[in-house]
Amino acid sequence: MLQLNMNLLYTIINLVVLYLLLRHFLIKPVTEIMEKRKKLIEDGLLNAQNAQDDAAKMKREYEAALSGAKQESAKILEKAQRQAKEEYEKILQKADEKAADMMESAKESIRVQREQTIHELQSQIAGLALNAAAKIVGEKTENQGNQEIYNQFLEEVGEAFDDPDKK
Amino acid sequence: MFREEQASFLYMNLRRKGGSDTGDLTEKLMEELNCETVFDLPVLGGISESVVVTWIIMAVLVIASVILVRNLKVENPGKVQLALESAIGWAQDFFEGIIGKENRRYIPYLITVLLYLGISNAIMPLFGFKPPTKDLNVTAALAIMSMCLIEFSGIHKNGLKHWVKHFAKPVPVVAPIMVLEVVIRPLSLCMRLFGNMLAGFVVMELLKVFVPLIIPIPVSFYFDIFDGLLQAYVFVFLTALFMNEEME
Repeated sequence: MLQLNMNLLYTIINLVVLYLLLRHFLIKPVTEIMEKRKKLIEDGLLNAQNAQDDAAKMKREYEAALSGAKQESAKILEKAQRQAKEEYEKILQKADEKAADMMESAKESIRVQREQTIHELQSQIAGLALNAAAKIVGEKTENQGNQEIYNQFLEEVGEAFDDPDKK
Repeated sequence: MFREEQASFLYMNLRRKGGSDTGDLTEKLMEELNCETVFDLPVLGGISESVVVTWIIMAVLVIASVILVRNLKVENPGKVQLALESAIGWAQDFFEGIIGKENRRYIPYLITVLLYLGISNAIMPLFGFKPPTKDLNVTAALAIMSMCLIEFSGIHKNGLKHWVKHFAKPVPVVAPIMVLEVVIRPLSLCMRLFGNMLAGFVVMELLKVFVPLIIPIPVSFYFDIFDGLLQAYVFVFLTALFMNEEME
């Protein structure tokens, strides 16, 4: 019971052998399996994380694209409105100018017409005066002196010029 | 032989005091306590009972592990595999917590010792063998292995120079004590285990002689199963703790 002998050495050998056997048959396979499972789970988690990250990234991209499109459409709308306004103003201005031009030309033509009319009237009056003068000259040459004829003529013409509207 | 002299001395002593009943009891106890030599080998000498029981335990452990490990699966493990994995995983986590992740290579030995001690301490009520740990040779062998492992781990981790120097820390005066500690630590491991198992064994044998019926069952649960497993735990726990201390 209380003695040390060769059995101590045998026990040490037994323990070493048992250690080698158990390490080979029990601990190594079990540890390997556990490591494999751990790796599998870690890979799965990593994959899930990656997929989630990808999805989040894609979502961000889509949102960015969407907001970009919104901004673009707003810009286009604004541009179109501006263009329409410009066009409208341009047309309005043109119309104004045209109307002014037309007014001007109408005034001009009226003035030209009036001048023409005045000229015509003057020439007619001159004609009439000539006729009248010829008549008077024809009538009075025989019985009146030249001095008298001039006076009469001048009188008549002066009247005609003084009061052309009376006729 | 010392053994026989002692036995006869005790026997005579008790015989003088009491009657023949006590003598029978002493004889019986001594028979139980002695580690008989099972057989003699020509060169190696006598093979004691504890070595033979150790062989049986080894065979059982190896066969059991071969059977249990046969159909391991990574996915959808069975109940047996889960139990096995949680047991091994618990032991690995436990030792890793003491000696650290970087010293994983010592864990298989510690697990082996834990299994061996657990079975050999609890083998008495389960299979009727005398526990090998009741033999001083076995506990001494375990303690010597632990001592080698403790010192080796220290030398391996920090180098021989550091190992020699650490005896003189914190002050050189403590060097003799530190050198003594090399022997004292395994000695305490050895004697703690041996004393516990022997005492439990003796108490159980006495109880079995006096009250052979029913009463020994709960007592056996305490002395053999609980104390046995506790001592196995303490032994590997302390070995790991000393290793960690040495590796600092």
